[in-house]
Amino acid sequence: MSHPNRDDDRMWARIRRVFRLPSSPRRMNAEVDEELRFHLEGRIEELMASEGLNRSAAEAEARRRFGDFGQYRREAREIDQATHDQRERMHARESLARESRRAVRTLLRSPGFSFITVVTLALGIGAATAIFTLLDAVVLRPLPYANADRLVSLSSPVPLMKGQTRWGLARHQMFYILREGRTFENLAVYNTSEVTLLGAGDLRPERVRSVSTSASLFDVLGFVPQHGRVILKEENSARRPAVAVLGHGLWQRRYGSDPGVVGRTINIEGLSLTVVGVLPPRADLPDLKVDLWVPAFVDSTTNWNNHTWSAIGRLKPGFTAADAERDVAPLTQRLPEAYPDVYGKDFVKNTGFRTEIVPLRDAVVGDMVTRALWTLFGAVGLVLLIAGANVANLFLVRMDARRRDVAVRTALGAGRGHLATQYLAEGLILAGVAGVLALAFAQGLLRLLLALAPSELPRLSEVHLGAPSVAFAVGIVVLAGLMFGMLPLLAARLDLAMLREGGRGLTTSRRRMNVRRLLVATQMALAVVLLASAALMLRTFGNLRAVQPGFDPERVLTLTVALPRARFGGQTDRSSDFHQQLAMRLAQLPGVRDVGMTDRLPLVSGDLCIGITLEGPTPESARGVCPPSTRVSPGYFEAIGTRVEGRTITWSGMNARDGSVVVSRAFADAHWPTESAIGKRVRFNGTTPPWYTVVGVAEDVRSLGVDRPPSQLVYFPLREIPGSPLWELDTSMELVLRTTAGDPLTLANAVSRIITELEPEAAVVNPRTMDSILARSIARQSFTMVLLLISATIAMLLSAVGIYGVISYIVAQRRGEIGVRVALGASVREVTGMVLRQSLGLAVAGLVVGVLAALATTRFLRTLLFGVEPGDPLTLVLVPGVLLVVALLASYVPARRAARVDPVEALRG
Amino acid sequence: MAATPDLDLFRGTLDLFILKALSWGPMHGLAVLRWIEQGSRNSLQIEEGALYPALHRMEQKGWLESDWGLTDASRRARFYRLTHTGRRQLTAQLSRWERYTDAVSLILRAEPAR
Repeated sequence: MSHPNRDDDRMWARIRRVFRLPSSPRRMNAEVDEELRFHLEGRIEELMASEGLNRSAAEAEARRRFGDFGQYRREAREIDQATHDQRERMHARESLARESRRAVRTLLRSPGFSFITVVTLALGIGAATAIFTLLDAVVLRPLPYANADRLVSLSSPVPLMKGQTRWGLARHQMFYILREGRTFENLAVYNTSEVTLLGAGDLRPERVRSVSTSASLFDVLGFVPQHGRVILKEENSARRPAVAVLGHGLWQRRYGSDPGVVGRTINIEGLSLTVVGVLPPRADLPDLKVDLWVPAFVDSTTNWNNHTWSAIGRLKPGFTAADAERDVAPLTQRLPEAYPDVYGKDFVKNTGFRTEIVPLRDAVVGDMVTRALWTLFGAVGLVLLIAGANVANLFLVRMDARRRDVAVRTALGAGRGHLATQYLAEGLILAGVAGVLALAFAQGLLRLLLALAPSELPRLSEVHLGAPSVAFAVGIVVLAGLMFGMLPLLAARLDLAMLREGGRGLTTSRRRMNVRRLLVATQMALAVVLLASAALMLRTFGNLRAVQPGFDPERVLTLTVALPRARFGGQTDRSSDFHQQLAMRLAQLPGVRDVGMTDRLPLVSGDLCIGITLEGPTPESARGVCPPSTRVSPGYFEAIGTRVEGRTITWSGMNARDGSVVVSRAFADAHWPTESAIGKRVRFNGTTPPWYTVVGVAEDVRSLGVDRPPSQLVYFPLREIPGSPLWELDTSMELVLRTTAGDPLTLANAVSRIITELEPEAAVVNPRTMDSILARSIARQSFTMVLLLISATIAMLLSAVGIYGVISYIVAQRRGEIGVRVALGASVREVTGMVLRQSLGLAVAGLVVGVLAALATTRFLRTLLFGVEPGDPLTLVLVPGVLLVVALLASYVPARRAARVDPVEALRG
Repeated sequence: MAATPDLDLFRGTLDLFILKALSWGPMHGLAVLRWIEQGSRNSLQIEEGALYPALHRMEQKGWLESDWGLTDASRRARFYRLTHTGRRQLTAQLSRWERYTDAVSLILRAEPAR
């Protein structure tokens, strides 16, 4: 260039000194105007001077030469606006990048601080995210159906029936409610069962979950078939099903997703069914993966007093479950009038029969589960708070250390904005890294939780770390990042205020010290709540484990043996012969001590109430009773380890139809409180003698759960007395084997081989030990306990870290003073004691508040507890005691350090 | 008013004129225009307003920077000057322009082969 740049720069500097660059859009527009006006004005003057035009002529000429003024002005403005935006963005990006780099450098310079912060936050956020995932999938998210909010579950409480609480619906109720009610759009009844799908060609026999249903269920749940069709209403009029719809899982697994399966025939225990359709994935019952859907016999002729059906209805838009219940209540009252053939006149009065209608989700998830999960969520929330308090404390300590740094940067002209950006960047970076770790931690924790989770916990298949969980974690991360990023700024403002008041630095630090004490005391309080909850669950668990279930669960193997219905259905004698033969064969198997069979396993099958009559002049209420009853083979009591007084059922006796029964102690005490039950006689309702005779009294079994009272059980023999038949025995029985040593499950293969040898069409499934059944039955409590224990342990550790940090800090602050004391002859013990007293004060304050809080909050655990009260005094004494010890231990290290202060150095420093 | 020249060519050329004008030192818009007029001895007339979108666009591209200053007559005016990028741009455009005119004149002066 011909013109030297230096001149340029000098000139430029002179120009720049006068004005600054525009910033606001309005100013930018004004400047464009001014620039263009300057141009026109210059031209006008020029024209007036050179061509002697008057002003208006000159202006007209200037405007003519200029062209479209408005157009050019608009263009220039638009360009300026774009330039402005572009620069702003670039500036922000640069500033953010710069401050982030600075933040990262600063964080890397204090790896200890960064590490502890990240780990603490990751633990807190990870635990919270895992439990949130569980809560979201199980409780919060709607069921996976169209119109899920309008689906309701119907059942029939019968409060006046002894020993029973709830029935299902009868089939005619479905038609009745749809006909007479005004709140239901559609209603369906169904029953679930396990059936054996017989082998064909290469296909092995398979046990599948089957739903026998009214055709309306598909409409109620909004299922559209993927192939073929669903069940038709007409098909509900057949006594035996002729068609089946395949669930997606079975279709994939067994038929390799072949659409050609529609139209083929499958064989269910000797019954031929034509496959008419296949459902899409995830078309299942609310809490059951369904393999097979078959039409139930549900039509206008099935008006029987058989209240055993599950029912789901879809309400018309705008109605709630409560509306529906009000709608149906009078209908239920009139049920005996509407169906005089079915019910006695006083049916409703005698049973207390009514129809309960609740949202399907509540019926599936249940109050207990909801409560347990919210409790756990509360617990991890507390952990998160404790973690937050710790991190806040760390930030406060760090800030004190960085005050010089801040002061220097401020003095060097770093604006509040820059500092703020850097602090926020630090907070967000730490929280972000913690968030990533937290998600990994949550994933691991979730896997552990799913392995531990009680099988009764519904909707487990829907649990996964999805978008809502990530959103939740990100939310906490951002919140935490902002909070911890703002902390230094708030404190800086505090500092500034102090300076203005002319206060000295000491005051500020004392005030901040109080904040930190408060944080630590709060932590202690929260830890008490968590630890107390965990301790209560621990005692619950211990109490549950200590309960005698009424059988000996050790070394017991159970398997379900399903015999083909075609040959064994209704053939009690044939199946009894088979079971005897099987028992003999299995008894010879090395490692097997006792063999027995039953149709209902304790803790698994639930209770089935069978109406029986007791012989003789008994109190009015006991003449017709409905005790939970089960059929057992000889050898059953020995195999499961239930002690029997008197004698048990024997093969020879049973085969001779001697009519022996065994009753439980609870049943005997209830009905023959003053005399021995042995020799007393009972029979099935509606039959005539001969009677069954009680030959033994069995130890009480808690068949519904170890936290429930023992059932009043009656054990009938497999084989009935002719002329006094019992209920029809299912073709699927539970085999119970007591083994001599080792893991009972190792025998399962040998056992199923023998069964298949004897009956090739038998399906053998569900090998499990009684131990695992017992453990599963208290899984809800143990699950809650494990989670609370994890939470409480983290809480305790974090509190210990918190108190350690604060006491260390106090010691460091008071180095000088301690030095003086040591110089004046204070002993190690005295100095240590002084520091420990400090921490004792802090801890006790927190513990007192914590005990009060625990008293208030542990009542939410009540429904989960067993054998211990929410405000259990022992727990509320022991827990603070433990925490106090932990607090003292955590402060012991800094206290010793204080005692070893070298007075010379301390005073010089 | 001058006949409207081919717009693309015109715009490119106008940019080049502006760059060249400013290579002499910081100027306000009117001064740039006068420089072009004098340089072309008034033979090349442009619609004056078009200068401003061109200036602002070049500023956006980072070829120019602008600031307010005082003219010799102590009037407030918006001054432009070349940035480093602007100078490089000028060099590049000049050499392109020269290659182009060389090529054009080569073609136009070529005698038909005999």
